[in-house]
Parts: sequence; C-alpha cells; structure tokens
Amino acid sequence: MSYYDIDSILTDAQKLPCTFELEVPGLGILEGNPGDNIKAGTRIDLPLWLGEMLSIGARLGTSRLVTLDIPSALSERVMNALKADPRTVDLRALAPHFYSLSERVLELFEEEEMVDVLINTFKKRASEIADHAHNPKGALGDGVEFLRGLDETERQLFRVAHDSAKETRIWAGEAKKR
Amino acid sequence: MAFPLPRGITPPEISFLAEMEMVTILPRQRLEGLELLGGPVEPLLPPRRASLPLWLALLLKRQRRANILPPTWLHPESLSLILEIETQHHEYQHAFSPPPPLPGQPSLRDRGQRPVAVPRYTPDGGRYYPAPPFLPQNVAQDHVPSGEPPSLPFHWLEVGTMLLDAASDDLVDPDQTRRLLKELREVRTAKIRSGVDVLDVASTGGGGVALTGVGAMEVGEGRGFIAGVVDGLRKIGASKEQARREQMAEDMANGGYDATQDDDDDMEF
Amino acid sequence: MYGELGNKLVQHAKRTQSLAHLPPYQTELVRSVAREVRDLDRDVNHLLTPFSGSFDPSQQPAIACALLVDHLCMRRNKRCLLAYHRVRTEKLEELCWTGIDVLEQQAPPAAEDGTQPVASSQSGNHSSLSPEEEEYFRQYSDLLAAYKGQWTDVDLTGALEPPKDLFIDVRVLKDAGEIQTEYGVINLTKNSQLYVRQGDVERLIAQGFLERLS
Repeated sequence: MSYYDIDSILTDAQKLPCTFELEVPGLGILEGNPGDNIKAGTRIDLPLWLGEMLSIGARLGTSRLVTLDIPSALSERVMNALKADPRTVDLRALAPHFYSLSERVLELFEEEEMVDVLINTFKKRASEIADHAHNPKGALGDGVEFLRGLDETERQLFRVAHDSAKETRIWAGEAKKR
Repeated sequence: MAFPLPRGITPPEISFLAEMEMVTILPRQRLEGLELLGGPVEPLLPPRRASLPLWLALLLKRQRRANILPPTWLHPESLSLILEIETQHHEYQHAFSPPPPLPGQPSLRDRGQRPVAVPRYTPDGGRYYPAPPFLPQNVAQDHVPSGEPPSLPFHWLEVGTMLLDAASDDLVDPDQTRRLLKELREVRTAKIRSGVDVLDVASTGGGGVALTGVGAMEVGEGRGFIAGVVDGLRKIGASKEQARREQMAEDMANGGYDATQDDDDDMEF
Repeated sequence: MYGELGNKLVQHAKRTQSLAHLPPYQTELVRSVAREVRDLDRDVNHLLTPFSGSFDPSQQPAIACALLVDHLCMRRNKRCLLAYHRVRTEKLEELCWTGIDVLEQQAPPAAEDGTQPVASSQSGNHSSLSPEEEEYFRQYSDLLAAYKGQWTDVDLTGALEPPKDLFIDVRVLKDAGEIQTEYGVINLTKNSQLYVRQGDVERLIAQGFLERLS
C-alpha cells in the first residue's frame, strides 16, 4: 500500500455506491452536470479515494456527508455464484482489482461470511492457477477463458508461478532461454 | 533501481550453493593440497578416495583428472524406492518422503526414540548443531546401515542434475536415473501445488505449514507462488484476524494473563 | 468527473511497467491534470471568498463538503502525477543499469505492440522522453558511472547470474578493437574465436560484439 504503488492507486479508483446526505452546491459535476447542485439523497458511484473520505464523517458520527454501500462486484448475487463454483466467475469483469477492492470494502463493512467465501474462492482459484502456470504449453481450452477472468492479484500470482517454473526448466536445460 | 531479480533466490543461485556440497571422488592423478576459503583440500593420491566440494569435483572430472563416486541415494534402486514411498505409501500421499535424519535423530526404524541432537565443535570450541547444507549427505557410502531407507538430501535435484550432466559415465544407470529423477520431480511438484489448501492456516497468526523433506530447488521454485497465496489470504482475512485478536485481547483481560497464548500476540506480519 | 485524467495517466504507467521500452511521455495528459488542479484551486478560492477568512465548517456543512471534495481531488491528482513520473524514472534508471542509451535510440514504432496508443502530441522521430527526463537520464548515467568507477575489479552492472565456468569460448561478431585484461591485451577481430575470462567479455556479449559458444 505504498503511496506510489500503481496497483494501489488503481484499486482506489474503483467505485462504490454512495448516497449524499445533504445538498452540496456545485458538486453536480460528480453526476456529469457541472454547475448544478447535488441534492440530498442522490445516489452515485464514487471512486474509493473520494467516497471513503467523505464517509468518514458519517462513521465518526460527527456529520453525515455520504453513506456507502457494498459495490455490485461484491453483491449477494456474486457471493452466491462464488459459493456455487468459484472457478467459473469472471472476476476481472466484476472488478479489475477484485481482491484489493474486497479488502478495502471489508475494512469498511463487517461481513464475516464474505471473508469466508472470498478465502475459499481465492484458494480454489489459486490451485487452478498453479496448474495452468506449470503447463509449459500455456493454457488450452477452458483454461484460456479462466485465465482471462483473473483479477490483478491473481494475474500476478500466475505470472510469478509461471516465471519460476520456467526459470527452473531453463536451469534444468529443458527449456531454452527466452 | 529496483533489484531486477524476483524475490527469493533464482535456480542458478540455488545450484551455485549446491556446488558447496561435499562429494566423493576417485582421483586419477596426484594433486597437491589446496588452501581454499571454504577450508583446506587434502592432497589427492590415487587410488585413495577423497571428499571435495562438488564444484571442484566437477572441474577435475571435466579435466579427466578424477572420477566421481555417486552418492548412495542417486542409485536407481534407491530412487525407485523413494518414488514408491512418494506415490504408494499412504502416509505420504500428501507429504514428502522423509529427509535424511539429522545427526542424533532416530531413524525411521526406531521411531519413538527420543532424538538426541549431536553437537559438533568449532575450532574455537563453540558448540553447534550442523544441518544441511553442512552435512555430508552426498558422499558415497560403502555400506548402508540396514533398515535405513534411502532418502533425498536437501540439494537432491541440483546435485543429481549436475552429476548427470557432467559425470553420467560415473553413474550406475544414467538413463534410468534421469528418468527417475524426472518422475520424482513431477510427483513432488504436484504435491507442492496441491498444498494450497492448507495455506490459509499459514496466513493466520501463529500458523505454519511443515515443509519437511522439501528440497532447496523445490522451495525456490515454489516460493513466489506460495508466498503470494499466503499474502493474498492474509489480506482478505485481515478484518477477521483483527476481530480474532481483539477477542483474544479481551479474553486475556478477563481471564488473566495466559503465558501459553502470548507467543503469536506480538508477531507482526 | 474529477480525477479521471489522472486515472488515465496511471493506467499508462501500468502499461509502461510491463513494456521493455519507454513509451512516449504524455505531455498533453500531464498538462491537463495540472490544469485540473489549478481549476480546483480556483474553485476553492471562489467558495471561500465570501467568508473572508472566517469560514466555520460546522456552520456550513455543504460548503465544507464541496471544499473537501475539491481538496481530495487535488490530492488524488498529485498522487497520480507523482506515480506516473516515478514509474518512468524507475524505468530510466533500469535502462541505465542495463547499459541501454535511450538518448541514442529512436522511439520504437507503435506497431510493435498493439497496446501502445499513438502518442497524443508527439509522433515521428521525437524522443519519447520529456526534456526533464532526458536531463535526469544524463545525470543519472554520470552518477552511475562515477559510482562504478570506484571499483575496477568488480563490474557493478555485470550479470547477476553465478557463472558456471570462469573461462568461455566466444566468437567475435563485430570488430571491437583491443581490450585490456588481467591476462594481457586481446585483439577482437571479426570472426576470430577466443577462449577468454567470462568477466572480461560479459559487457561485450551483452552489447552484441561477441557471441558465446557452448
């Protein structure tokens, strides 16, 4: 979570449904109507870097600017799909930084069941990733689709597993260097 | 600039370290003793056997000045026995075949005996307990103690591969050996990969996963992936872990100080 | 929406990380993000003017909220700008260490990888570096050269792989003149084959003067 970390900045850009609790002048630009006011009760998706800070007042109980909701990427429907079969869900389509987003959401909301579902999902998919990464011919058939649906964390995992397997094969003389 | 290599150590580095392993050679020429940084090398007098670091043995072998006597575990017989343990033995379906016993550790034959660690002494009289790679696990043995099943040393894959490369004519049946090593490697890599299931234990405070019997190259190959999975699980479970710790702190405040529970309390991950 | 341009910049940086070369500097985008920050600053001043220094957030929660949004957007843009430039300077340093002189190289054609969009403001033979980056590269190269110069027997930018053999067979691909080694002078004339110390010729292999024979 370094300040300069590109993935962390991109995670911060993912959106969260927010509801404004008061009318704010000139903030219509957030809705795409520059110059207008934003009305109390307006519900718009704001990036984490904005929504999280605006909601802090609400959480401290001092003044309510906006209230947050769980993003659609982590909705009940998605959780059910993940419970049914973690491997067939296209996480990248839900959110490119799916797990980093969930981490942040779990800091904001207490969702014990979600933690369990996500841990199970991550584990199941990780062993699938390992299998694909060790295949020197690259992914085939179903694998292509599965790998396309990996979120950023999983992609990095795949890359690491793939590279270390390859480096070892190169060392053993079973593969050519580059 | 960021360090260009991946985290951990790379295969060429691991294999470089494995070249420090001592092996047995049969010199074909006389050679005066050498004073090396890693310790003196005795003068070579054929036909007397000598123990040398692998890198030197390989150099002499390439120059046709010595033959290498393969370590006991590198015989096809030993390897097929180990492969059998890895694949057939029900106790090792998901585990790795046991590594060579440490000095003083009871062998499989007399299990149940208490291990008595055998210390050694430095020239200054300091006491230490040697562990791989500072144990002669790759020297040739004339007679194998009966009842002692063969086992793969820490640097099995590196030493095996290098000897097959440079000294295949000194091995008993190089083709069979090569095939067995490859098979062993495949079986064990699959075990490492399927080990993901137990990794959530490692991601919570105080948890761990046993890596007994896993070789240096295997640790190196799996490091990036396993560390990545543990890290991912830790991040997802962070809020739960936080709740667990708060609960624990509360319990401790209520039930007084329990010394057996505090060891993972101050661990920072 | 504020912050979107900054986000674009960071996505650029993300792509840059996985490329071998440095894509063109996004002058236009950087300028727009900076402009957005100035606009936001103007907005803040505009909001605060009526209060002439006596603004009380608890009296005016709506204005306070607008100010907070402005402030957060400026902070976000700053982070995006800094991260973008940092990714690029890191890449420049990496090129320095690997001995590639970006100042001599042409920007590779955009067709080489599909991901690289045609640069907004630059095209043709323009350098892919901003003038500041060129200066940074030059000074960093000097710094690295001075640092390396302190050790004559260790090549800090040499290969990190532990050698298997001290001496290797090489073939000379291009005339490289004479080089001085511990074992005397070697003359590298095209097509000759030599048995040399690996450490002496590592650089020349990387630069394509020699080829290693196995």
